Amino acid sequence: MEEMIKDHVEELVDYIMHRCLWQFHSRAWDRERQNAEILGKTKQLLCAEPVDLSTPDDRCYWVDAVALANGFKRRFPWINSMEPKNITLLMQALKERMDYLTITKSLNKELTDPLY
Amino acid sequence: MPYHAFKCSECIPEREKHAVVKGHGEDLTSCLPLGYLNTIPGTISERGCAFCGAKHVIGTPMKDVIHLVHGPIGCCYDTWHTKRYISDNDNFQLKYTWVTDMKEKNVVFGGEKLLKKSIIECFKAFPDVKRMTIYQTCASALIGDDLDAVAKEVMEEMPDVDIFACNSPGFGGPSQSGGHHKINIAWVDKKVGTLEPEITSPYTINYVGDYNIQGDQEIMMDYFHQMGIQVIASFTGNGSYDDLRCMHRAQLNVLECARSAEYICNELRKRYGIPRLDIDGYGFDLLSESLMKVAMFFGLEDKAQAIIDEETARWKPELDWYKRRLTGKKICLWPGGSKLWHWAHVIEEEMGVKVVSVYSKFGHQGDFEKGVARCSEGALAIDDPNELEALEAMRELEPDVILTGMRPGEVAKKIRIPYLNIHAYHNGPYKGYEGWVRLARDLYNAIYSPIHQLSGLDISKDEIATDVGFKSQRLISDVGFDKAEIAAGGEREYSGKYDCVSELRGKTYPVPEKSFSAAV
Repeated sequence: MEEMIKDHVEELVDYIMHRCLWQFHSRAWDRERQNAEILGKTKQLLCAEPVDLSTPDDRCYWVDAVALANGFKRRFPWINSMEPKNITLLMQALKERMDYLTITKSLNKELTDPLY
Repeated sequence: MPYHAFKCSECIPEREKHAVVKGHGEDLTSCLPLGYLNTIPGTISERGCAFCGAKHVIGTPMKDVIHLVHGPIGCCYDTWHTKRYISDNDNFQLKYTWVTDMKEKNVVFGGEKLLKKSIIECFKAFPDVKRMTIYQTCASALIGDDLDAVAKEVMEEMPDVDIFACNSPGFGGPSQSGGHHKINIAWVDKKVGTLEPEITSPYTINYVGDYNIQGDQEIMMDYFHQMGIQVIASFTGNGSYDDLRCMHRAQLNVLECARSAEYICNELRKRYGIPRLDIDGYGFDLLSESLMKVAMFFGLEDKAQAIIDEETARWKPELDWYKRRLTGKKICLWPGGSKLWHWAHVIEEEMGVKVVSVYSKFGHQGDFEKGVARCSEGALAIDDPNELEALEAMRELEPDVILTGMRPGEVAKKIRIPYLNIHAYHNGPYKGYEGWVRLARDLYNAIYSPIHQLSGLDISKDEIATDVGFKSQRLISDVGFDKAEIAAGGEREYSGKYDCVSELRGKTYPVPEKSFSAAV
């Protein structure tokens, strides 16, 4: 399972990197929030869980999450037959990988600038 | 780190970290050039200055404003003859250029009196225009002229006018990007929140980071208006000064060029709680997804789907006609900032070309993260290249066409590589479905122009055949094609009008049905 998740995570990362822009917001704190909120809501959508839409921010994360979840289902049919517990593991691994690439190991020196 | 060292820059070792090749297995933790740093002494950069970034990129597209430069007359050089950010008020901001024409005596004795005199003179010359932006330049900044104080004085004397002082002298940053930053922050600090908009729809956005190059913004406005969305302000293409003062009342900031305008979106989120949604206005697939995202925020999915279906059905056969003829062609994607990532992947997917290099003169590392992430393996990413490096890259990569601005574009022509102007555009707009086909058409015309047969001949030594003519574009591009198969697929050349923007200006839209209280 671990190996399978690792392989699948790379496919999902590749999809995000080629199509999305939300993971490259300006600062480290922006990226932490974007990755957590959008990937968190994407996981909820893929697992058919309720999604919080109570604030404009939530709704904005949600639209990116819907686009991502739909894209994943269309491009990677295997995700449609995954159990929710495995989707949860997969999305957790995806978030860790995205955090690694865009925040913790990012070479972008502007991420820690205290101002916009 | 897969750095790429140019032979021509061996004498400038610091340049090595400004170019990378995206190799197999590379990711953003190992493959990213430096960016947004001061130009290295000895490398002849092609960058603009911070004044240029503030005024010529972001300030001047505001359409109902007198844009007054406080400085020597040369600072207002780049205006109507180089810029193509049109507007629906007869291009007022492009037709005139205003400058205080500072001279030596003003540097010695101060230029504030000259500025005040010029401001009043401008308002008298254009009595119907009540809004003005005044721009600091190197000369006036170095002598300490206080633009804000002069603006305040005039506004007290002329209560019906409003003036925005933009303090972004040329030296205020490593490149034009420093000016983008300064004018973003200054506008949100000084002007946002000083006026209240008339709300006409339950769905309101700011459209940010589009400068209406040959009508790009107007194409996108049409889509938003078809969905019943009110665009409170357009930052800044075809944008109105007073509308931009009302940005604080939008429910959503829809951001295109994050390089030039993410600052104001970030500040609007922080200060007013308006979320930021980054979108792609280029390419059928990404544009469709972007329109759907904006629609979903307000629950207008059916309206977005109707636009997507109609536009795709109308224009996809024409895009496919060009894709068939562009497939396999190599391009260097060398724009200003955002197009390197807006286009890096979708242009390969939808036009069949191969992006062999991306570069930016003023992009930050964040832009290169997006560009490197989206481009294919083997692409060469360069930050702030000098002219010799660009020439070396072109000779090495042998692209079929360069997508760039006028200065590097004219250099490319000298080595017989065609270029397409993607700053001011050749025959835009390039946004929207039709716009994307227009880009494909311009690419086709650049690559297959018969002129290349003539330009390759040296009349001083080559024998010129007089009994045969030059081959037309189709004779070159359609070799080996199965005409029956093409006809069956319905593919066809671009069939739009020369001007696809003006007719949008008279278009009317249905009033949104949903009650205001039920909106997000």
